[in-house]
Amino acid sequence: MPQIDCEDQELLEGFLSETTELLEKLDDDLISLEKASGDTDLMNRIFRSIHTIKGASSFLGFDLLVKVTHKTEDVLNRLRKGELTVTSGIMDVILEATDLVKLLVSDIKAGDIQERETESTIAKLLPLLLESAGVTQQVSSAPSVVIQPVKTENEMSPAAPPEPSPAPDASGESAAGPAPVAAPVPAARPAADVAVKKAPVPPKPAESKGDDLSDSSTVRVDVKRLDDLMNQVGELVLERNRMIQLNQDLQQGEAERLNFNEEFGKLTKRMSFVTSELQMQVLKMRMIPVEKVFKKFPRIVRSLSRDLGKEVDLQIIGEETELDRSVVDEIGDPLIHLIRNAMDHGLETPDVRLAAGKPRCGTLILAAVHEGNQIIISIKDDGNGIDSDRVGRKAIEKGLISEEQFTAMSQREVFDLLFLPGFSTKDKATDLSGRGVGMDVVKTNIKKLNGLIEIKSTKGLGSEFILRLPLTLAIIQSLLVEVEGEVYSIPLSSVLETIRVDQRKFHLIGGQEVLKLRDMVLPLIRLQKVFNVQQRSDVSDFCYVVVVGAAEKRMGLVVTRLVGQQEVAIKSLGNYLANIPGIAGSTILGDGRVALIIDPVGMTEGCEGAVGR
Amino acid sequence: MNNALVPVKGGDAHGELIQLVSFSLDQEEYGVDVLKVREIIRMPIVTRVPNTPYYVEGVINLRGKVVPIICMRKKFGLTEAENDKQTRIMVMDMGGELMGFIVDAVSEVIRISGSEIQPSPAMVAGGVDQECIAGVINQAERLLVLLNLEKMFSRDEKNFFTGM
Repeated sequence: MPQIDCEDQELLEGFLSETTELLEKLDDDLISLEKASGDTDLMNRIFRSIHTIKGASSFLGFDLLVKVTHKTEDVLNRLRKGELTVTSGIMDVILEATDLVKLLVSDIKAGDIQERETESTIAKLLPLLLESAGVTQQVSSAPSVVIQPVKTENEMSPAAPPEPSPAPDASGESAAGPAPVAAPVPAARPAADVAVKKAPVPPKPAESKGDDLSDSSTVRVDVKRLDDLMNQVGELVLERNRMIQLNQDLQQGEAERLNFNEEFGKLTKRMSFVTSELQMQVLKMRMIPVEKVFKKFPRIVRSLSRDLGKEVDLQIIGEETELDRSVVDEIGDPLIHLIRNAMDHGLETPDVRLAAGKPRCGTLILAAVHEGNQIIISIKDDGNGIDSDRVGRKAIEKGLISEEQFTAMSQREVFDLLFLPGFSTKDKATDLSGRGVGMDVVKTNIKKLNGLIEIKSTKGLGSEFILRLPLTLAIIQSLLVEVEGEVYSIPLSSVLETIRVDQRKFHLIGGQEVLKLRDMVLPLIRLQKVFNVQQRSDVSDFCYVVVVGAAEKRMGLVVTRLVGQQEVAIKSLGNYLANIPGIAGSTILGDGRVALIIDPVGMTEGCEGAVGR
Repeated sequence: MNNALVPVKGGDAHGELIQLVSFSLDQEEYGVDVLKVREIIRMPIVTRVPNTPYYVEGVINLRGKVVPIICMRKKFGLTEAENDKQTRIMVMDMGGELMGFIVDAVSEVIRISGSEIQPSPAMVAGGVDQECIAGVINQAERLLVLLNLEKMFSRDEKNFFTGM
């Protein structure tokens, strides 16, 4: 195996980051191209990307990469010249080639170049280069069929159907470690082994791809932002000098004369202004557009829609919305599950849709938007919506709830059932869905991010899943509350409202205190009890209830007093105290004391245990 | 267990000089390896952390870092005492994490040679965990119990701390 023998490491790094970026964009462009095949600008852009990759890799001597990109480029060139027309069959092959390129690039990135099986992919590209390529086009309406005859012409043995995916197979593992990768790939050659493998899987690997290639250890920052940051640091230094000066004056007893109070007041204001600016700036640097996650979805939607035989029009709105890196990393998985769900459970097949008087092609809208300190991501489909009866029946069948419970449930509570692990309305699990894992993943990840999930659904008209996520995880807005003298902080992102109530209005249901709040029955948790705080003051009739939501749950925390709203920096409690139920971390208040941050998510779980059944 | 007897590195060099920070706790004197002690501070305001073992006093703000505080008296099952002027928190490095221990008073740094360390008597009555006693130093005037605080939290407790 050739080792990476690149003298100039910097050159290599440059190549890798550039290629990675191009490849990420490429997927997106290719999908758009399929929709708008006449778009010459797009076509040229794709062509240029591949060309750039080819050029750079030949310069650096990555032969395999050159071979694949070269052929791909040829095919693209023919498309560009109009000698071929864009069909889904051709796109499949091109996408497969891009996958292979990604795999090769990730090999290079891992510093471990492997002898990959590239022949089969190239073999699929070759016939498209023949003059008679028109023939291929005719067959291409059924994509998996195209591939078979093509291979037979080449040196590949006819009994080797499965390798549309040498790339998919290996790429999944390549993230785990390079060692096991070597095995499955050569194994794909002997025809006998191959039969065991799954039949042609059209480009499925897209999900893991983006993650494999995207590099989270380095950040690209706009030079302008960096300059701004420098300016602000400069201002901060000035203010510091001013402070030192003031302190000196004070020490020398000149303070009175210089009107120290007023000066100090001014300084404090300026300092706080500069620091919050600085904070925003640094925060902005950590922000990346949500596009990074969104851009792999067109590809997923494309392949899913073909697997499912559904027609889907994916609309992406607000992909330029920025949010913190840490959040972006976490939302990828939940979104994939939600999209799969929408496509599998939500949208109907064209026939059913026509019968229901809807347009043949279903619409899936993925939107991201800022709202205050939150980002809201919604996945909306115009499918058949959630059938709450069916959900209820399934839950009863599985023994999760009783018949009476179901009849008493509000629609929201019924929707909440969807998040239970192992719950699925499907009778049989397919390779796409039905195991009841997806929504559980969604819930867990969103909870981890301190986010909220909301489901809106109208039967027959479609459903919408709304995720509310905090912009960042390091510094949060919080509500400080006092519980019998102890101060706790509650993330403001999960606070829905605060109310002052008379304790006599609390009701007791099965040992659980609840509050009737408008049309909702809110379970209450007394922080004093949960945290074993000693009673200090006399019991007063009035107390405050902070209504918090965690993922899809709502509850009320009973506190003695509200202190106020403050922006706090989250500090970990260290390994020894990492997993205290109900406590997410700590922060340091203005007076230097430590205040604990309440974790509404953990709280709900504790509540489930206590209230449960 | 073998190296528990030799708290400082250099297992076989018994003649090697080691430095210990000595502190008192309920009239007894204890010592810990000086290299493990990060700093010694007076009692600041401690924030109680709910739902933790009884000997976890809470957390403090140590120049912007949040450090958990353990009450040694409670941990060792000794009678509790009011904090006074002498009370100190010894901030120790516990395998990369800082942790503070409340002790009655910190007295001095002493040098002893490794050979002076005797194994602890087989049966130690009282609450001090056998596990974390690395040995006993018997000098003319004084008796010093050598502690290995990293051994202080038994496996169960560590799990309790982290696995809850």
